Amino acid sequence: MTPLDTLQAHSSFFVICLGGALALPLLSFLLCFYVSEKYSWATSVLAPFLMMASTVCAAVVLYQAWNHPAFTWQRVWFSIADHTFTAGIHVNNASALMLFVVTGVSFLVHVYSIGYMAGDTALRRYFAMLGFFTFSMLGIVVSDNLLLIFVFWELVGFSSYMLIGHWNESPAAAEASKRAFIINRVGDAGFLIGLMLVWTHGHTFNIEALRALPLDPAWMTAASLCIFCGVVGKSAQFPLFTWLPDAMEGPTPVSALIHAATMVTAGVFLLGRAHFLFTPAALNVVAITGAITALLGAFAALSQHDIKKVLAYSTMSQLGLMVAAMGAGAPEAALLHLFTHAFFKACLFLSAGSIIHALHQAQHQSHVNFDVQDIRLLGGLRKKLPFTFIMFVVSGSALAGLPLFSGFLSKDAILAALVHWSNTGDAWHWVVLLVVALVSFVTVLYTFRLVWTIFNGEEKSTASLVVSEPPVVMRAPMAVLALASVWIWFSWNPFSFSGWIYNHIGAAKDFHGGFVSMASAAWVLLALAVAYASRGRKLDSRLLAQGFYVDLFSRKAIEQPTLQLADLTHRADKKWIDGFLHATAYAQVIVANLTGWFDRAIVDGFVDGAAGLAKSIGSFTRSFQGGKIQLYIFWAAFAIIIFIIWTLL
Amino acid sequence: MNAPLILFYFFEAAAAIAAVALLFARSVFYGALLVIVILLALAGLYVLAFAEFVAVTQILVYAGGILVVIIFGIMLTSRLSGKPLVVEHTLPVSGGLVGLAFFGALVYAIALQTFPTSESVAKTSTTFDATQTVGIALMSDYVLPFETTGILLLMALIGAAVMASDNASKKI
Amino acid sequence: MAPVHHFLYLGAFLFSTGLIVIITKRNTIMVLLGLELMLNASNLNLVAFNSLHPGSLQGQMFALFVIVVAVCEAAVGLAIVLRVYRQYRTSVPDHVNELNQ
Repeated sequence: MTPLDTLQAHSSFFVICLGGALALPLLSFLLCFYVSEKYSWATSVLAPFLMMASTVCAAVVLYQAWNHPAFTWQRVWFSIADHTFTAGIHVNNASALMLFVVTGVSFLVHVYSIGYMAGDTALRRYFAMLGFFTFSMLGIVVSDNLLLIFVFWELVGFSSYMLIGHWNESPAAAEASKRAFIINRVGDAGFLIGLMLVWTHGHTFNIEALRALPLDPAWMTAASLCIFCGVVGKSAQFPLFTWLPDAMEGPTPVSALIHAATMVTAGVFLLGRAHFLFTPAALNVVAITGAITALLGAFAALSQHDIKKVLAYSTMSQLGLMVAAMGAGAPEAALLHLFTHAFFKACLFLSAGSIIHALHQAQHQSHVNFDVQDIRLLGGLRKKLPFTFIMFVVSGSALAGLPLFSGFLSKDAILAALVHWSNTGDAWHWVVLLVVALVSFVTVLYTFRLVWTIFNGEEKSTASLVVSEPPVVMRAPMAVLALASVWIWFSWNPFSFSGWIYNHIGAAKDFHGGFVSMASAAWVLLALAVAYASRGRKLDSRLLAQGFYVDLFSRKAIEQPTLQLADLTHRADKKWIDGFLHATAYAQVIVANLTGWFDRAIVDGFVDGAAGLAKSIGSFTRSFQGGKIQLYIFWAAFAIIIFIIWTLL
Repeated sequence: MNAPLILFYFFEAAAAIAAVALLFARSVFYGALLVIVILLALAGLYVLAFAEFVAVTQILVYAGGILVVIIFGIMLTSRLSGKPLVVEHTLPVSGGLVGLAFFGALVYAIALQTFPTSESVAKTSTTFDATQTVGIALMSDYVLPFETTGILLLMALIGAAVMASDNASKKI
Repeated sequence: MAPVHHFLYLGAFLFSTGLIVIITKRNTIMVLLGLELMLNASNLNLVAFNSLHPGSLQGQMFALFVIVVAVCEAAVGLAIVLRVYRQYRTSVPDHVNELNQ
């Protein structure tokens, strides 16, 4: 057991920090489980504290690893026959940044959870699983080895199952957690097959070693598509996305964590990590899948009424954008969007959680009951929740991709990459580009629809409630995340995405995005105008005929088709996809009945004969072992006598 | 027919008769007493086979120790049940047949063998002190098995005490 | 000195008797007694064979250790019998068949 590769240019301090960043969430998991029931409040201090330490360590790692040669560390894991399996850590720029983002968001979510989950009966399990969730995700981020990634991948699936079903007394939550788990398994089956293919043709799981190998393109297409299956499941791509909206049954901070840092991003990160495995044919599939998902998600988000579901579908659509960018051969753009998305989506979810929390508290005091997540019942909360309003608008702007916000930069990078891709590739690449442009338009629509419905207009069900802002432990993480949604962290120039991150997370290509960024800024602002014009209109009602040109335009040219498309995609989701699932279920039942009949009539007939024989033999042998010890001894002695006589004669 | 030979056949007859009586004993208590008779007779035979130390151990440990324990056990069980322990028989015919067949096979096997007559060696063996030799051998050549059996005894003692103790639910 | 054969015949007889006792007696203590009988029969053989080799002590030693092990066996066996009796109110071995139900 000797280290196969030593560390170069990395101090032992760096190694300690890296170990700390990885081990502290695990420590938090263990400690939270072992705290006794009586001191379960202690977990809400302990877990965030450990996460903070982990975040600090990750920050040091990021600072030291940035623009240095990748840190690698390997050990022999186990060997079967003469095959040696190694396990190791590989930290390059992208994984160091991801490490920091995951621990940072997780830390903020921990802090937020102190307020949000206060008084929960299963606090220990909650914080323990948060720690474990983070740890599994960090494992994916730093592993240098596809097999190890798969192991952590499954752990992420398991811990998300535990967290989505945290309120396991609610049947919907239990159902949702099962659903998330099983749909993820479907994708993981593909991942596993992909791993086998990779092993058969590369004889190694080490990513860096695979990069150097000449691999058969036909098989690599198959293998990478199988790996992409895992990504489809984990990152909620078409057609395995239905678990993501259902997963909203979990606690809101968990949703924030799943959507921003730990779960769905794992798939995109893996795509970036194993991007070299993907052949052009496989990348085309990836791009198309991403585009379809983005489109479906965006329109489904338009027609939803549940605040968390809107956000969930928006995540889906943003993930679709990232995957499409991966497919277009621009992993840097996808990763940049991944990082920006982590901050603003976490902030959006935490703001939504803050609304839900505040309204729940208010309901509790005045004994009014209505569904606080239904945006049709909300309105005019701007005055009652000014802080949340600002947070929501800032992060929503980032989501919509307004200039000066981080989302603008990353979406720009994706658009620029796609423009470049369309210019160089087949004609149908333009379709993907148009779809992505449409998605970014619709993103603005649904984001600001959400903002206007919840915060502007007249108060509906909440009019009589005394609503107060959530405590500071919940507001502070939101503020930090909202600050991180501003452009300046990602690039000095608000209109150029090629900042310090973009240029260093991979072999960044410059797409000369000046024109694209101007065009997309104009496009987004147009969308904003449309959204403003159609504000307050119920999307499921007919718009009034009167109105200025934009109104008319939006109604005639955009809103109605949009509505129809939204309806269509909603139906596609609910009817076709669910219907397809039902049809397969029915088909399975029919096949099961058929096989059942076959089983009874023919197989059983045969088996009964065999069983009858076995039974008669059994009842004969049974007489030897009726639980009578002395009979056993008798038979034993009998056998010995026969043996003695046999030897003597 | 010298005196040792008479004693030998006397002890053999005593052991055999007691064993037959044991087969037909219907009371556990009498059965235990018959086993004591057998053990004492065997101790006598050991003396005749120049194994005085084993004979003494037989009497001390078996007749004096084990059988007393067994009789205690019998009395305890009959006290618990409140009625005398009467032994039923199961499988008398097949059990007896198996035993007889076994005996027959063993006798046949023994009769086939020829052993050197012990008359020649008997005279030399009377000259040395068996007990002293056994003691020296136990402490030199056989010290490891000796110590091991000591540990085994200790374990059996503790185990038996724990198992037979009354407070069954107490954590051990 | 009696011929070794006669020791062996008695040993075989006691062994067979012990076997019959074990098989036929419907009482756990009697079964234990039968077991002791069988051990003693083998002991008798050991001692008898040892008398053929006056210089060596191996047979006697073996017999001694057999006795010690028999002590352990009797003590533990009796403790088990007592415990079983308290638990199931029976000393008939076949009645303790909970695992068979």
